[in-house]
Amino acid sequence: MNDSSSRRTAWRQFTLLAALAPFAASFADAPAYVPAAAQSSLTFVGTQQGEKFTGRFKDFDARVAYAPDQLATSAISATIRIKSIDSNSPDRDSALVGSDWFDAAKYPVATFKAAGIRMTPTGPVGDAELTIRAKTQKFAFPFTWKSEGGKAILDAKVALDRIEYGVGTGEWADEGIAGHKVEVLVHLVLVPVPAPAAKH
Amino acid sequence: MGLRSTSFAWGAVARLLHWTMLALFLAIFPLGLYMADLPLGVHKLRLYALHKSIGLTLLALALLRFAWRLLDRRPELPPMPAWQLGVARLTHILLYVLMFAVPVSGWMFNSAAGFPLQWFGLVNLPAIAHSSPSLKQLAHTLHEAGAWLLVALAVLHAAGALTHHFVSRDRTLTLMVPWLRAPGTGGKP
Repeated sequence: MNDSSSRRTAWRQFTLLAALAPFAASFADAPAYVPAAAQSSLTFVGTQQGEKFTGRFKDFDARVAYAPDQLATSAISATIRIKSIDSNSPDRDSALVGSDWFDAAKYPVATFKAAGIRMTPTGPVGDAELTIRAKTQKFAFPFTWKSEGGKAILDAKVALDRIEYGVGTGEWADEGIAGHKVEVLVHLVLVPVPAPAAKH
Repeated sequence: MGLRSTSFAWGAVARLLHWTMLALFLAIFPLGLYMADLPLGVHKLRLYALHKSIGLTLLALALLRFAWRLLDRRPELPPMPAWQLGVARLTHILLYVLMFAVPVSGWMFNSAAGFPLQWFGLVNLPAIAHSSPSLKQLAHTLHEAGAWLLVALAVLHAAGALTHHFVSRDRTLTLMVPWLRAPGTGGKP
């Protein structure tokens, strides 16, 4: 009696699992990663008085959930701390965090989110939302993904228009002083987040 | 009056370079003093851009002037005491050194500050130093001290020339200002 009832329970569990199997992939979350700070970078290339300069944000957090076969739960989010800007010129940095530009005192962080990730012939593309100075812009976010021995490398390049975010407007909108187009290069060396239980 | 200098006067090229550089210096020096204390803004950046453009022009003219001086002959100075010749010679050497040192230290200051360098919005020039706060400080000091020394020497130089003209009444000043008549010669140069 005991024997048969436990067998029946086991059978029931098996049929349930079998019935759910096709959906298993969508129930499992895409594996989550965080960037290794030392190897990851968030760089930008701007133009000042006809000359390109490179800067970076040294302090940012990111969380990436991604697997090519688990796109529904794949997503990217990041928080960038404006004051960590370094454009290889302390004078320029102090101007950039000032109220005419990023206004770091009022808007200390920029946030980035990408979801709706889909596979295209050229690679994965997400729908991104970037918020700087409380102004949000949406754009397509193509990126490349490489898995290497448990780690993953995400690279992306997007061109932004600083005016759309209110960064350096008014008299600073003069392109002879500073170009509107800013290229952003994302290079994340990602390590897995241990387990959902370890989430804080 | 020919392009080249003669034993009696500087030629047109030397005179043009001399007076053009003076005119540009009279613009760039007060501009430099004025712009430094302005609050950060587009106005300040534009004035810096203008200062840098004039400075690069002066550096190019200094190169041209030095090269021309090597190729061209120099007029003969009227007889004067040896100490005057010595002071004049030293002043001229220092003025030439500063004609290069002041713009080059400005360029270094700009590079060490990590700023771009553009000539009248047309051509960009490379950095000659890495971005560095300590070098920026040093180059700034040299640039400013050099510019003030240049002013002092130019004043001494002009005072010497005017003294020769109005006190010694010789033809020194007429070498660079050919429409002037030498005071002591009754109208004949």
